[in-house]
Amino acid sequence: MNRYIQMMDNNQSRRSFLKTTAALSLARSAAPLAMSLASMGEASALTAPAGDYKALVCVFLYGGNDYANTLIPYDQSSYNAYQSFRSNLAISKVFLDPTVLNPITPLPGGQQYALAPELAALMPRFNSGALSVLLNIGTLVEPITKAKYASGNANLPPKLFSHNDQQSYWQSSSPEGASSGWGGRMGDLFQAGNAGGSAFTCIGLNGNAVYLSGQTTFQYQLTTAGAVPFNAVNSSLFGSTSASAALKAVLNTPRTHLLENEYLNVTQRSMNAYSSVNQAFSKSTLSTSFPLANSLGDQLQAVAKLISVRASLGVKRQVFFVSLGGFDNHTLLAKVHPGLMQTLGDAMSAFYQATVDLGVANQVTTFTASDFGRTLLSNSDGSDHGWGSMHFMLGGAVKGQSFIGTPPVLANNGPDDVGQGRLLPQLSVDQLAATLGNWFGVSAQDQLSVLPNLKNFTLKDLGNLSAT
Amino acid sequence: MLTIKTMQSNPDEMTSQGDPGVVRPKNELDKQRPLDGSFLRLNESTFSTLSAMSVLGVLSACGSDVADELAMPLPAPSTAINRLDLLTSNAPNGSSPGSLPAHISLRVDVSSVAATSASTAPVSTTDANALFNWAEQQYPSLFPGVKANLTTSSYVYRYYPETKNYLGVGVSGSTVGNVYVLGPLSDGVLALVGTLQGFACQVSGGACTLTSANDAARFLSQATLGFTRADLNNLSQTTISQWLDAQFAQPTSISYFSWLINNGYDSSGFENSTAGMDNVVWKKLISSPDVLRQKMVQVFSEIWVVSVLGINASWRQFSVANYLDVLEANVFGNFRTLIEQITMTPAMSYYLTYQGNVKTNPTTGSEPDENYARELMQLFTIGLLNLNNDGSLQLVNGAPVQTYSQNDVSGLARVFTGWSVDTHGLTAPYGPIYQQRPLVQVSSKYETGAKTFLGVTIPAGTTAAQSLKIALDTVFNHPNTAPFVCRQLIQKLVTSNPSAGYINRVANVFINNGNSVRGDLKAVIKAILMDPEARDLSLAQQSNSFGKVREPIVRFLCWARAFNANSATDAWAIGDVSSAGSALGQSPMRSPTVFNFYRPGYVPPNSALSSAGLVAPELQLSDETTVAAYVNYMQKAIAGSGVGDLKADYSLLQAIASNSNALLAELNTLLACGEIDAQTLTNFKVALDTISVTTSAGVMNRIYAALTLVLACPQFIVQK
Repeated sequence: MNRYIQMMDNNQSRRSFLKTTAALSLARSAAPLAMSLASMGEASALTAPAGDYKALVCVFLYGGNDYANTLIPYDQSSYNAYQSFRSNLAISKVFLDPTVLNPITPLPGGQQYALAPELAALMPRFNSGALSVLLNIGTLVEPITKAKYASGNANLPPKLFSHNDQQSYWQSSSPEGASSGWGGRMGDLFQAGNAGGSAFTCIGLNGNAVYLSGQTTFQYQLTTAGAVPFNAVNSSLFGSTSASAALKAVLNTPRTHLLENEYLNVTQRSMNAYSSVNQAFSKSTLSTSFPLANSLGDQLQAVAKLISVRASLGVKRQVFFVSLGGFDNHTLLAKVHPGLMQTLGDAMSAFYQATVDLGVANQVTTFTASDFGRTLLSNSDGSDHGWGSMHFMLGGAVKGQSFIGTPPVLANNGPDDVGQGRLLPQLSVDQLAATLGNWFGVSAQDQLSVLPNLKNFTLKDLGNLSAT
Repeated sequence: MLTIKTMQSNPDEMTSQGDPGVVRPKNELDKQRPLDGSFLRLNESTFSTLSAMSVLGVLSACGSDVADELAMPLPAPSTAINRLDLLTSNAPNGSSPGSLPAHISLRVDVSSVAATSASTAPVSTTDANALFNWAEQQYPSLFPGVKANLTTSSYVYRYYPETKNYLGVGVSGSTVGNVYVLGPLSDGVLALVGTLQGFACQVSGGACTLTSANDAARFLSQATLGFTRADLNNLSQTTISQWLDAQFAQPTSISYFSWLINNGYDSSGFENSTAGMDNVVWKKLISSPDVLRQKMVQVFSEIWVVSVLGINASWRQFSVANYLDVLEANVFGNFRTLIEQITMTPAMSYYLTYQGNVKTNPTTGSEPDENYARELMQLFTIGLLNLNNDGSLQLVNGAPVQTYSQNDVSGLARVFTGWSVDTHGLTAPYGPIYQQRPLVQVSSKYETGAKTFLGVTIPAGTTAAQSLKIALDTVFNHPNTAPFVCRQLIQKLVTSNPSAGYINRVANVFINNGNSVRGDLKAVIKAILMDPEARDLSLAQQSNSFGKVREPIVRFLCWARAFNANSATDAWAIGDVSSAGSALGQSPMRSPTVFNFYRPGYVPPNSALSSAGLVAPELQLSDETTVAAYVNYMQKAIAGSGVGDLKADYSLLQAIASNSNALLAELNTLLACGEIDAQTLTNFKVALDTISVTTSAGVMNRIYAALTLVLACPQFIVQK
């Protein structure tokens, strides 16, 4: 922890960044949050270049997405292998014809993939160059080979195949109990440039996620309908304004008990941010249509609304986290997974359209993440916990219509899997994060602090995001 | 003035505590404060020994655990080393007396008590004698024989020349009522190990009464889901032991399953809904008189998680009902039986997908579903990393060791094949009854090949029933199970960050209830609730982290039970309160995943808690939306809005509402265990006095406002 902070402080880019925003920082620290929010909004609106805005949006698929029915091997020889390893789960090839991906640079050896049929909404995004597919990416400490894994001496992420721990490792480079995530650590570097500091830098729509917490940046959660009012302090309490004031006072009085005080910290953020958020939120004129009855779409619509009022909130860099559960398909995979794909594809496609409509398509990059991939081989009607998986990057800055990485060999304990088609990742989450970070404006030096495992990888940028 | 530099936390030295996955700074209390003449006549070698012991996790948080004056003679310095094995042994067998003395590891949490005395009441020699006699009996290897009392102006104590240990109780000044040890067992340091009051329940075998209302309220907060003024008064008439035994003997109220049928939820229109589930769960949680059993059912339902959202079958409300009936029948039984009974419920088999699980198919390459095998080990019994009996991580070459590999999961998965719901004699579409029958075997799906896991191989050809027995015996008898399960139970009942010693003491009872029985849950519950760490209010009051956050549904239940909330029509139509923006953000039996609403190892990121290496499980549910939504929801619920026909009985409050002080005092006791401080109460009182009580509507408004203030207050949110 100490070491991390020192590295940050020694970093020139961060120092110069802080220097340029020193006036804002001072003003922020001297004024209560609500006041500074208002003044900062004006200040940054005046001083920030109008177009200076970027957002990262993490779409987390809780439960461990089944990679083999998300991105399906399509060329005949690969499809045959896919079909043989999961005959009871395999999607018929004929259904895949409309979603075959034709990348600008074809994969070697005539290999082809198709998207799950229910991801059809992403086809125009791929074909227009806004969607890139990451092949066999997962949590890693360092590059790994099958031989090294088999030796038992590999430096592996702890607690592989465990939901909670691999969710945490994806988000933070540490298992459950992590105190910050890489989205939040990136937020640390940029919050000084946002009005209200960390208040609206890292925003979640579906409950606490360590991804969004930095070392100084707090995550802020709201609902798809905006912030939740604190009625008892916003208006009189059973007719008594004194009682309401007394409640507000006790909730603003620090406690020495750590549990009590942490609860109060959250409460105070809730009370302080409510009016700013909802005033801004209500100004949104976002008109893009989003799919109905789509909980992920609802969250991404709220993100788009927040992006649309970025000037009111006075923010220049934001990290968002949305999520969808239900991916732990040990059973009924063939029945359940297609619906999840539909939800995912429709929501992401609509969100991309929203960024186009708002004129920020090049300034918003969305990516998927999940606990882990699953087995290629099936159990009786589902798949089990795996490791490496297939993921997506979406946005105007994405050099899309592309595959990043190498197609894994489809096998049961072959060169690219550790048994039953549990993929040994060839791309690491850190490489993805660093690619996003480069685009977001995180310096090479800061990347090493934000992503503790990145130093172990020679390739530090996957190259599929345009610098803008 | 001395400063104990060697005991300061070194950020590079980490040691594990409790939950696997949580690595905490070894000096969790991080005191680093100078001590006023505390360590008289101690030399450098003593400090370095202490430091070495800290690394071993024995005195992992030792702080200023000393008295202001040292009157007891010191042992010869040369004898200070060879009790390391005694103090650090993680006794695999709890029946071995003296293997890990209760009060040694208690030091971990009492360090902060030293600064002030626990009590100013005069010490009864009878109480001190009882403690000495108990210690001699419990820990003969430390305090051998029966010794006579010795006294100084400040202490009454006994000396044990065989072991060169002292055991003493302070009788004057700021030490009154404090219990100290000195000698090889404390590394030559006068160590405060607790208070007479804190030891009282253990010393007396539970024949202790809770005399103060706040003490009694605290006990009931730990042992129930909420309590009335009558419950509180009744408790003062009995001893803890009697109260617990009476609770164990309480009959169950109407079964969940029967209530659903009696209320017509078995009619065909409800086949593919959850109708009735929320109703019966609320009814039981709010009104069932077997308060300790209900508490334990709620606790186990959040460890052995089943959620109605993940049951892909007809009659899933009945599936959950049967699961809860099985919990009710077993939470006061044996853990081994509980494991097996739950494993055989249709609810769990659907939820963790071993219902219809099929053996390996060599033609298709299909393998058995691994879901239950993995979560049975990871979440329900042994966890991911090898533990010592005190919950700390076993380290090999400085690194933790995984309890199982993927191969163990695959091997154990083969046991959970062929199990299916029992529809014998039923015709489709089945009625709800099949959700109540234990699973049966379908031999065509059962894997008859060998099954290897956790160092055990079940030979090929072993029957399904025998394989199940071997598998469940294996996880039940695994050395991790006692500390892994006990730590979580302590977290649910008493405190999120129990000391290693507390875990060890309870785990020892899990291992052996005193009659060579493993897994006796009554004994475990007693051990948790009678432990000095649970009972010593002074420890809690002087810690800045003791206790736990009450989860939202428990806050709601505390209110509902405190005022006998009732559904006059027996409808209990409170419904699903999962909404994070408009309800409690948590609803019973509706966990989003088998990982529960919150994790036992959850650390609020970027917080003082994470800096201190502390977990705060229930805070996983607290974010900027839920903290507001909770108060909004309660504000309506207390006034009878949004909760069906649920109505609280405020008659006792109406009688005192004209006196705001009295009103607040009652709510402070019944809800916050007296934790709300005087200044806050004064501020509340002034505010409440602005609400006129000249009309009955005014009386109710004052009561509602007072309730909202207390229920929103951080001193209520956190149970100490």
